[in-house]
Amino acid sequence: MSVASPSAPARPTPPGPPAPGAHVRRKRRSSTSSGLVPYALALPALFLLFALLGYPMVRMVVLSFQNMRLRELFAGLTPPWVGLDNYTKVLTDSVFWTVALRTTVFTVVSVALTVTIGLAVAMLMRRVAPSIRIAMIVVMMFVWAMPQLVATQIFRWLVDADFGVINYLLTLIGLDYESHSWFAEPLEGWAVITSLVVWAGIPFIAITLNAGLTQVPKELIEAATVDGASPWQAFRNITLPILKQLIVIVTTLSAIWNFGLFTQPWVIRDGRPSSDYQTLATYAYSTAFKTNNYSLGSAISVITVILLAAVMVFYIRQMFKIGDVD
Amino acid sequence: MTSTEAPAAVPAKTSSAGRKPDTKREVNAFSSLAHIALFVWALATAGPLIWVVLSSFKNNTEIFLGQPFGLPSSFSFQSYLDAWTTAHVGQYFLNSVFVVVLSTAGTMLLGSMAAYVLARYRFPGNRAIYYLFVSGLAFPTFMALVPLFFILKSFGLINTFTGLILVYIAYSLPFTVFFMAAFFKTLPMEIEEAATMDGASHTRKFFQIMVPMAKSGLVSITIFNIVGQWNQYLLPVAIMQGAGADSKWVLTQGIANISTSAGYQAQWSTLFAALTLSILPMIIVYAIFQRQIQAGLTAGAVK
Repeated sequence: MSVASPSAPARPTPPGPPAPGAHVRRKRRSSTSSGLVPYALALPALFLLFALLGYPMVRMVVLSFQNMRLRELFAGLTPPWVGLDNYTKVLTDSVFWTVALRTTVFTVVSVALTVTIGLAVAMLMRRVAPSIRIAMIVVMMFVWAMPQLVATQIFRWLVDADFGVINYLLTLIGLDYESHSWFAEPLEGWAVITSLVVWAGIPFIAITLNAGLTQVPKELIEAATVDGASPWQAFRNITLPILKQLIVIVTTLSAIWNFGLFTQPWVIRDGRPSSDYQTLATYAYSTAFKTNNYSLGSAISVITVILLAAVMVFYIRQMFKIGDVD
Repeated sequence: MTSTEAPAAVPAKTSSAGRKPDTKREVNAFSSLAHIALFVWALATAGPLIWVVLSSFKNNTEIFLGQPFGLPSSFSFQSYLDAWTTAHVGQYFLNSVFVVVLSTAGTMLLGSMAAYVLARYRFPGNRAIYYLFVSGLAFPTFMALVPLFFILKSFGLINTFTGLILVYIAYSLPFTVFFMAAFFKTLPMEIEEAATMDGASHTRKFFQIMVPMAKSGLVSITIFNIVGQWNQYLLPVAIMQGAGADSKWVLTQGIANISTSAGYQAQWSTLFAALTLSILPMIIVYAIFQRQIQAGLTAGAVK
């Protein structure tokens, strides 16, 4: 916004020195309308956002300070205020901390894998022939466009103990995986869920970073290679700096999405994830809706959002700044 | 991104003429490595997809035969017919198309108007509104379900397409506004100023000048929204409930219903057919917008 936007001088009393050029003429028209037009254009979107996203968010926060149970829900009574009770209950519960730690570890591992592999795939896309590149993009569009629910169903079938392809293939190469259950051992189960999330997350990142890579001038890499730079040096000192902003954006978005992981563990465990498969999202949801403890569930969600914001504050700020181009 | 272009110009002048055969061999080694990587990638990405499509042509017995990559005995479209009619996937498919078309259009209209204003106009509260939109990115959808349900209920919008569409729009706005605001900021000011001088109204400027100029950005975000809304599962589950809701379900609900209905007894081939059908619209969208997607992604990337 360093360049004065066209509407700025049209305000009733234009502050500062008048910009050069035709501003005199512009000032003449619509000095009244332009003041309201921005609001008018933004209003419908704002209204929807407030009604359907802002208000529920406020309700969620309010709810976390109350004690809403099934009775209040159906009778429409105002639930009793309990202050910080829900928060102390959650924060002193070791189950919550286990779940929080698990969610964090999952997020770090899955985001690191997704971004690294996504970047590798994007680099690969620059190397192959255009026709193959298009084929790659089409296949990845498939994966990207696939509903999480569908992808989860597919993976559930791939690792099915009796009829799954994975067990079939592993048995075929001589390993003892006949009727092997992938979810008996939480670590293995999480490996499956992580693969699923990474598999589904790569296309978005690869396609975006591939677009970014087209901005890396070929001559620059060539020149560096001629001057004796190793491919790794060329990558580190030329490609990465150019991609940096994009990487910050996709990393931040992936982290936000993966931290809120819900559908995959939920569906792959048939809507009844055992305590080993809870994430903060499913934990909050189960608490709220399965045990009808809406307030406790809300408190968990509020803490989740705060945790996310605290961990991500640096990246989120970076992302905001990038969105704020000057 | 101007800052990143600056260093590019300088060393690019160094001649790249003296390429030795040595580098050539290195490149070859690389490309064979690339081929291996490509193969692994194809196996990992396309493998599950091929398996689904193959299974969709099989009948139930063949699916459990223990030859997951064996070809079906005959390529019958029976499971697709079953899915389309018996499992009502046809109905759900059309419902999904209807909802996504309207909600994506709404999202793009409202979102780009708001983004345009936030990017191009200076007015009190501009920053506050921008951050309000963007903070919606971090909001966990699943927790909004209860309050959301009651708001919609009080407006009589539960179990209506209108309700679902409005909710989809609201939940797609944060990303749309974030991305489009960044995009609008990069467009040159001069044309817009010229239009203002010629007396174009604000709405006219927006629809006839800014929108065409922002076309590539708009297309890529449109795709993003279509994909995102087509994929929704949690929101429709919460909203499309009540009497007669199952005729208004969207595709994801229909698929979930097939797979939860009856364990191993279910028509799994129907499920696989439905899974394949759910991806189909994306191919069509992609085929239509292929060029713009490429351009849009590139443009969006450099801002």
